[in-house]
Amino acid sequence: MPVDYLPILVMIAIVTAFAVIALTLSAMTGPRRPNPTKLSPYESGMPPFGSARRRFSIKYYLTAVLFILFDIEIIFFYPWAVLFRDLGWFGLSAMGTFMLVLLIGYVYVWRKGGFEWD
Amino acid sequence: MTLDPIVITLIEAVVKTIVVIVALLTAFAYLTLVERYVIAKIQSRIGPNRVGAIGGIALLQPIADAIKMIFKEDFWPSQADKIIYTIAPGIAVGTALLAWAVMPLHPSTEIFGYRVDFFIADVNIGVLYLLAIGSLGVYGIVLGGWGSNNKYSMLGALRSTAQMISYEVSLGLALVGVLMISGSLSLVTIVEKQSFIWNVVWQPLGFIIYFIAAVAEVNRLPFDLPEAETELVAGYQTEYSSLKFALFYMAEYINMITVSAIAATMFLGGYQGPFGILPGVHWLVLKIMFFIFVMMWMRGTLPRFRYDQLMRFGWQVLLPLALANIFITALVMLVVGA
Amino acid sequence: MSLSVPDLNFRVIAPALIVALTALIVLLAELVTPAPRKRWLGVLGLIGLLIAAGATVGLWGAPASAFGGMVVADNFGLFLTLVILLGAALSILLALDFVRAHRVDQGEYYVLVLFAVVGMILMATATDLIVIFLALELLSLPLYILAAFKRADARSLEAGLKYFLLGAFSSAFFLYGIAFIFGGTGTTNLMKIADALAKNPRNDLLLVGAGLLLVGFAFKVALVPFHWWTPDVYDGAPTAVTAFMSVGVKAAAFGAFFRAFLVALPAFAFDWRIVLAALAVLTMTLGNVAALLQSNVKRMLAYSSIAHAGYILIALVAMGASGLSSALFYLLAYTLTNLGAFGAVIALSDGERERLEIRDWGGAARQYPFIAAMFAIFMLSLAGFPPLAGFTGKFLIFSAAVETGWAWLAVIGVLNSLVSAYFYLRPIVQMYMSEPVPGWDRIRVAPLVALALVLALIGVIALGLYPTPAIVMATGGFLR
Repeated sequence: MPVDYLPILVMIAIVTAFAVIALTLSAMTGPRRPNPTKLSPYESGMPPFGSARRRFSIKYYLTAVLFILFDIEIIFFYPWAVLFRDLGWFGLSAMGTFMLVLLIGYVYVWRKGGFEWD
Repeated sequence: MTLDPIVITLIEAVVKTIVVIVALLTAFAYLTLVERYVIAKIQSRIGPNRVGAIGGIALLQPIADAIKMIFKEDFWPSQADKIIYTIAPGIAVGTALLAWAVMPLHPSTEIFGYRVDFFIADVNIGVLYLLAIGSLGVYGIVLGGWGSNNKYSMLGALRSTAQMISYEVSLGLALVGVLMISGSLSLVTIVEKQSFIWNVVWQPLGFIIYFIAAVAEVNRLPFDLPEAETELVAGYQTEYSSLKFALFYMAEYINMITVSAIAATMFLGGYQGPFGILPGVHWLVLKIMFFIFVMMWMRGTLPRFRYDQLMRFGWQVLLPLALANIFITALVMLVVGA
Repeated sequence: MSLSVPDLNFRVIAPALIVALTALIVLLAELVTPAPRKRWLGVLGLIGLLIAAGATVGLWGAPASAFGGMVVADNFGLFLTLVILLGAALSILLALDFVRAHRVDQGEYYVLVLFAVVGMILMATATDLIVIFLALELLSLPLYILAAFKRADARSLEAGLKYFLLGAFSSAFFLYGIAFIFGGTGTTNLMKIADALAKNPRNDLLLVGAGLLLVGFAFKVALVPFHWWTPDVYDGAPTAVTAFMSVGVKAAAFGAFFRAFLVALPAFAFDWRIVLAALAVLTMTLGNVAALLQSNVKRMLAYSSIAHAGYILIALVAMGASGLSSALFYLLAYTLTNLGAFGAVIALSDGERERLEIRDWGGAARQYPFIAAMFAIFMLSLAGFPPLAGFTGKFLIFSAAVETGWAWLAVIGVLNSLVSAYFYLRPIVQMYMSEPVPGWDRIRVAPLVALALVLALIGVIALGLYPTPAIVMATGGFLR
């Protein structure tokens, strides 16, 4: 029921307030003595070079795509799991078919080295 | 005088939220002390023993730390994306706290004729809510790393994100077995159904998978790659100081408490005692403390994974195991049930 | 609590299921096939397509619906299924040597083609807007990848990216249209939309929805003014892929287009035919005029495919049984002819070098008399010369238009065909009347490509000389 979610809204409001207060507090208290060296990016004491906004490994992207695939699978699994007792063997075979298709993709990614980080 | 039930709900929610947040913040503060002490003992050191020490333990240390954090200089690096850099710690700690909205803490009781529920909300998609809020936590980290505009922060955030989303899959799948047994997504129902036998008895594999994935999810050793200080200084936290740093730190510890509480709730009966003995919040706290102690113990004992090992373990070991667990559970339930 | 399982009539989607299963098998086989033997994966895919065609024939004549009325196997859908399977089979035949010559000899090629075929078949047989959308995505996503399949080639990548961005954009239109239609009628099922309209023919939400839906379809079948992606994508994509998508997507998308408009919207108060007629005129004219100006064969064929989409649209405007059957026949004829034309481009390429400019075709008739003759016949068929398939198709469409009172549209169509003859004849003139271009030595034509060309040629001539069986098959119509 929608009213069940009301306390969550209240909590979101309070938590947001907490975060805002903490962030403003930290801005107000404490000294303010900035200097160029202090404000430059930390690179282990060496003078910083280049930007941090550079290309990074495509593997991160691949991982994100795989995550989306399997995360959607979880969303399929949850209602199925809750109703599993009612669905019985039909439910198992239907989910088994779905999983089989997904597993073929999984095996493919595995064999193609999609999980290797070298 | 009678109040509108909505108003009563609102007042209850405000009170409960504040109590939960205060409890969590206190727990966080003292966990930092406990962690330092436990690690010190494991490594045969003395540990913190100065500030307000009683019996060799510095009981006021967390308060001293907090005051120090508040009065440290708060600065914005010149290249940082100011807005993102500032709100990232807020997101991190906010999502960490919000997970507690659906956690059942204690059986519902009658107090002065009022029925009091010891949870903030009992929604029928509780487990889904937990997962959803849990995945939002990634935003705090990735935005912090991006907003800092520092190479270490960026790398740390990327690693952290990849690690967290990889293990989130196994984490989510490990819980499916419990859902099949309970037939509900409401955490309250799940706990109530464990009044006699805990789910861990039926789901030992799911429990182990969940715990490993949870440790990875909160970036603790042996999965603390995002903050591998030898490689990445302090990962996504590198450019943070003052309370902003403290908020990230807070988020980490609260997440530790949260995943322990979920483990306790889903697998170890939550506030239920073994065989229905004296259900109550003390059981939940005990179980959470047990899990947190195990995590500290692991930190004192285990070396860190290499990054390729970490990803391979998550995708090629935990994920197939979690899927196998679901199908074993399904088969057993159908065969035994028939 | 009891759960009711909907009527899952798997038999009805047997063709799509068989192709999907083949795709999965090929995907797994890809992992264990050593590099020199990858072409056997293509053969495996061909076998799967043949079995699926057999299953389609087995379903013929007994219309049935499945999955609670989301998919049907009526003769309209089955005819298109056969067209799609034929197009896919011929294009795989063309690709077997092509991928090796272009050093993209990977099993994934065939897997992606097969998955796209699954999407096409579902699109042609779906009777629910949601299923149509899913099928549209299932056919589009593999094609985006296929367009960029030659990863070392910047132009191929550009084609893939362009196709992806514009395709995603059009999908959004399509989905938004579905949302409006659902808002207006409370259903996404085509038959139920028709029922809702029969009760209440004025429906403003539906008007917006149908407009957005039209934009989505127009993107996919490349109607002016939503055609801008076509020349670049057709030109940049590997030729074998271009051949496949120029025919498969047209058949599938027009199938869903016809079904959506003719099943769901006939009772609509707003007369959408005039809009489509205007689009048809624009599309034919602009496609043909732009094709006149091309010096690149693939770009010319791209504009020609735009123009052909315009002709087919006339059949939709004509509505009725004759319009429907003429469109089906036209799609079949177009599939064979266009595959043949692209096949000839593949046949005469030297390794990775292709005769893309029309002047490269100079003297080809002397070097390759048979291929040149076949290419000439395909060009003439596209232009609509008797007694070839293209002529019969155009004749059927125009006569359907005249029958239903759209004579002026037919006249514009005929005029356009006359204009198009010029650019279709240009490569023929070049082949037969110019000297061979230096740098194009005689090479051996791959036998499988030649086989595909001969098969297409037989089809084109047979449909031109003896069209009756195909026309009879095409008059099956919808299951409502």
